[in-house]
Amino acid sequence: MITLSEYFMTILITCMIVNLGLALYGVFFKPNLIKKIIALTILGDTANTFALIIGYRMWVAGVPSRPPVFTEWRSNNPLLLLVFTKTAVDPLPQALVLTAIVIGLAVTLFLVFLTLQAWKIYRSVDMRDIKRLKG
Amino acid sequence: MRRWIGICVLILTILGLSFVVAANINTLVPTTNVRTLAEIYLKYTYYPWDKYFTAMSPEACTSIVWDFRGLDTVFETMVFYLAIIGAIALARGVPLKLPKEIKRDLGLSLIVKTVTKIVPVLIIAVAGSIALHGHLTPGGGFQGGATAAVAPVLILVVFSQFYLLKRGVNKNSMLLLRSIGLTGIGITAFAAVLIGLATGHYAFVLQNQPKPLAPDVSLPAFVGGQLISGSLWFFNFFEFLAVAAGFTIVFLLITLPEKLAEAKEEKHVVEVEEG
Repeated sequence: MITLSEYFMTILITCMIVNLGLALYGVFFKPNLIKKIIALTILGDTANTFALIIGYRMWVAGVPSRPPVFTEWRSNNPLLLLVFTKTAVDPLPQALVLTAIVIGLAVTLFLVFLTLQAWKIYRSVDMRDIKRLKG
Repeated sequence: MRRWIGICVLILTILGLSFVVAANINTLVPTTNVRTLAEIYLKYTYYPWDKYFTAMSPEACTSIVWDFRGLDTVFETMVFYLAIIGAIALARGVPLKLPKEIKRDLGLSLIVKTVTKIVPVLIIAVAGSIALHGHLTPGGGFQGGATAAVAPVLILVVFSQFYLLKRGVNKNSMLLLRSIGLTGIGITAFAAVLIGLATGHYAFVLQNQPKPLAPDVSLPAFVGGQLISGSLWFFNFFEFLAVAAGFTIVFLLITLPEKLAEAKEEKHVVEVEEG
């Protein structure tokens, strides 16, 4: 028998795999360039959530995880630091996801400007129209 | 036909991925073995008993981003600004200039405008707090800068582009602010090396606290009793300036009036015909 948390985790992962598929569908098959960019951002966010799940778990049974911020630093107490080390969530995926979000944002901005340029030149953001206009 | 093949391939990919995850749930989902690295980072993020390994910042994410993996973040910042430079280069024909006559009734209604006169001040204050407390609380330079860039967007939508341009928030002033931020990041990255050169000791690029091979050079963790975590505060501050200014440029360029875009398009067509 699975527990409730396992059940919710399965639902979460299944939803995210479906999300991944939908985003890939949008990137590959939507003819509108803006919709392609929206699908690309959903794809990036799904990948980031997968990375976060690795770190965001209950590491000590029965003790809820806490954010990776050592709030009792003024006390200079090594015991509190040990408790923090054992129960805080993994900060490395969060830091990597922060990097990924920044670079994803930069790529999105660049793609939006490319689309704007395509609209200025071809008066359309539809891939089928732009294909017809080439030459 | 091609479309159906593609959809079938996608469905098979999703089903296959789900099957792989479900069949190997014990091996594919990382076990607690991944915890070793996290424990090292969490232990040494604020560890005043051993100055050689700590970043002296209670916020583990900021210490990873700007100290433990600092070089990574510097290159990430480079990618970010190369993309912004690419966007500016693509929009090089956009004239960000004030027209001779500005209509008085630009923008949304009086109620929205009155509220918008108050809200950007609060947004900037919150953004500054996020950025300057980045080494103490969740947040940092990038998050603060992205928050601060919401204020110009709000003004752009509610008033107009001319409202910002009239008050000196144009492409050149924002480029200047962005360059100040990037130069600050560069100077902070080389600060320890410069101190080492001046005092005749070894030091590393992106060094924050003393290291075993460079024990004599360090940036101060406390200034006047306040924890600033050495270089982390400066990195956050300059990143805040650079990100806020970079986003403001992009939003200014992307909300160009449609008439200007059309005028540019006609000119472009003429150029193409001549060529």
